[in-house]
Amino acid sequence: MLRLEDVTIKFGGLTAVNGVNMNIASDEVVGLVGPNGAGKTTLFNSISGLVRPTSGKIIFDSVDVLKTPLHRRARLGIGRSFQIPQPMHELTVRENLLVAQRFGTGKIDLEKIDEILDFLELANKAGRNAATELALTELKALEVAKALATAPKLLLLDEVLAGIETTGKRRFMKMLMNLHKQYRIGILIIEHDIDTISQLCSRVCVLNFGQLIADGTPDQVFSDPQVIKSYTGDQHA
Amino acid sequence: MSELILQSLYSGLLAGGSYALIALGLALVFGTMKIINLAHGELVLLAAYIAYMAESMLKINPLLAIPLALIVVCLASVIVYFLVSKIVKDRELNSLLLTYGVGIVLTNAILLIWKSDIHSTSNEWFQQSLVLGSLYSMNSEVTFFVVSLVLIVLVWLWLSKSWYGRAVRAVASNRDAAKLMGINPRWTELISFVLSGVLATFAGVALYSYGVIQPELGSALTVKAFIITVLAGAGSIPGVLLGAVLLGVVEALTTTMFSSALQELTGMLLFLLVLFVLPNGLFGANRRRG
Amino acid sequence: MKQYRWMYLAVAAVVLYVLVPLLLGGNLYLMSLVVASLTIGGIALAWALLGNLGGMVSFGQAAFFGVGSYVSALLTLKFGLPVLPAMLLGGVGASLASLAMLPALRLKGPYFALAILAYAQIFRILAMEFRGVTGGAGGLSGIPQLPTVFGFDLSAKVGGYLVILSIVVVFLWIYYLIRKSYYGLALKAMHESEDATRVVGVNSTLLKAMMLLVSAFMTGMVGAFNTHYINFLEPDYAFGSSWTVIPIIAAIFGGYRTIFGPLAGAVAIYMIDQLIFKNLIPNGHQIILGVLLVLMIIFCPSGLVPVLVEKFKGKTHAEA
Repeated sequence: MLRLEDVTIKFGGLTAVNGVNMNIASDEVVGLVGPNGAGKTTLFNSISGLVRPTSGKIIFDSVDVLKTPLHRRARLGIGRSFQIPQPMHELTVRENLLVAQRFGTGKIDLEKIDEILDFLELANKAGRNAATELALTELKALEVAKALATAPKLLLLDEVLAGIETTGKRRFMKMLMNLHKQYRIGILIIEHDIDTISQLCSRVCVLNFGQLIADGTPDQVFSDPQVIKSYTGDQHA
Repeated sequence: MSELILQSLYSGLLAGGSYALIALGLALVFGTMKIINLAHGELVLLAAYIAYMAESMLKINPLLAIPLALIVVCLASVIVYFLVSKIVKDRELNSLLLTYGVGIVLTNAILLIWKSDIHSTSNEWFQQSLVLGSLYSMNSEVTFFVVSLVLIVLVWLWLSKSWYGRAVRAVASNRDAAKLMGINPRWTELISFVLSGVLATFAGVALYSYGVIQPELGSALTVKAFIITVLAGAGSIPGVLLGAVLLGVVEALTTTMFSSALQELTGMLLFLLVLFVLPNGLFGANRRRG
Repeated sequence: MKQYRWMYLAVAAVVLYVLVPLLLGGNLYLMSLVVASLTIGGIALAWALLGNLGGMVSFGQAAFFGVGSYVSALLTLKFGLPVLPAMLLGGVGASLASLAMLPALRLKGPYFALAILAYAQIFRILAMEFRGVTGGAGGLSGIPQLPTVFGFDLSAKVGGYLVILSIVVVFLWIYYLIRKSYYGLALKAMHESEDATRVVGVNSTLLKAMMLLVSAFMTGMVGAFNTHYINFLEPDYAFGSSWTVIPIIAAIFGGYRTIFGPLAGAVAIYMIDQLIFKNLIPNGHQIILGVLLVLMIIFCPSGLVPVLVEKFKGKTHAEA
């Protein structure tokens, strides 16, 4: 469903992403890991449209994504949550979802909105001002909710769990696991926590200095000496 | 034909000097506070009218009016600073509206005090022509061009060498970091407004000495200054001078080749061109990261 | 609650459409003031719409006003079009002119405001220079008046009042519709979180452009009305800065975040300026408006009337 061919992204002299090749099938859950600065968010930005790759191709459902303007990528089926939550200001939580749904799918399905609110446990905050009245966990949940409201075929989750304390984290993780069960969509998730990744994902891709250095099952990848070295800088596996 | 063009270039160059003073004043304030003082042109005009008043009532050379004009215009400038600093939120846009309002107040005040007649200097020495080869100009034009250059160099030296000057640049690029280093941003902002007033004063007296003044001129001057600031790009004083000269030359050429009505038009078009095609201005450095 | 709203509107309609003409119709001077203030009100509404929904502060409404005036005048004068359709086309003409401003949309706040100012000046100078078409600085004369419709002479003061009133009412309705639509929600969110809206599929650039077109259309149509109402047109008048300045002050005075605010502000400001300030300082009465603008920006940038209303509400609650 999503195919990255030799995607390279350079900012001036800095190469953030270097010749990445990746394939995501339509209902896989794939983890994207790597040390800080490895280029993971930049890769997401290029798929969702905030950044233009210097070279390479991104094909989604046989559509050349790079020829599609940013605001149309949601209609294509690419949903994205931001690492630092970006709620739509001056709107309530419900209105955030309404706008996402109306413009991301072209129609309004109020039942679906309620379903998403329930699933992400935001129902009781539906009328609150999204930018000013939500706690961090709720803001993160809203990020996922907004993306879901656009009825995506592929969901890009960028460090959804970062910054949430342990109990909230466990609940959120359960939500993420149910996410795939309930909405059979492809998920590409950036996370740092190895346990989380191992439990959620059937496949893991590892990025280091912008290059893809491993692509396999969690067990394979996390026992790969190259991968371990990239995290610890250790010579010995 | 080419003589006409050469003359236009020369006149434009001379005019560019005063334009540069006006633009520099605007740029200083924009540099330290990131706001555009839409009343700046009116401050220049105020100085021009004070020079007129001095000459017509006291029968003295406009140059001698400079001390009085300095006091009045700098005071007005400080008042504008005071008002702007009272804005609570959305300072960038609200300051536009506020200074727009101040501009209206000043223009109408000038209208009320001095009526709407056109004035220009009656000083004979200023109006005498100075001929360089085949190029013709008035004594006043050349005098004030030299004055402008001197002032611009002084300002440039001051900004790059003196402590206050460096403080101004520090506040301009990173206000909070400057505070941590012990610089009081409010003082530097105040100073830039005062300096802006000083430059406006000289530009105003120059304007009176070789041009005509009328109350409506205020906003046209502000617009010219803004065009030059955009042409020059951020953070470049030589750029301001070059941009000012460019505008002066383009205006003079338009007047010669087409008509004087169109000279405003070419200024505007130049402005829009630069705004869209060269967002960093012709000479400006790229936005430096703090 | 809904039925109360209909009652208020019905009462207002009766007052505006029936009582005002009956009571004021005899006083031609007052009537013309009211018409002029509604004209300003239409522009103020268009300005507020662009600022509120589009998120863009504009210093160039005069450009649209002038273009609308000239398009309508020329269509009726040179091409013999009937007046009312020509007015509509005046609005369309202004919208088309605003297309030239589309590149300015990607500029940040202050730069956009000033780029629009530059456009306004350019249009004014163009109108002066193309004397073959626009009659140059001398302007156009003999512009057709508003017609007689259903036996009702619209060119009379009362007739003109009804026309501009209806135009403004329609504008209010359009503003209201946009605001409560999903587009209105998206526009609201776009001010501070444009990327977040784009990622979920909002074509923010297109929406902003549409708001510019709507604002231009409204202002242009009002300009067209004005030219047929006073039968006078010349570049300095049609593109004069008063058409930019007074609506801005009016909108801020009345509260530009509400739908009725700009309109109420326009009527108030214009009437007070013409009836009181002008008598105090005949040649420079705009100075008071300037002072008012400065004070408002400092003390109540979202509008004077809303602040007063809040204070009033606060007092009555305390007493209750």
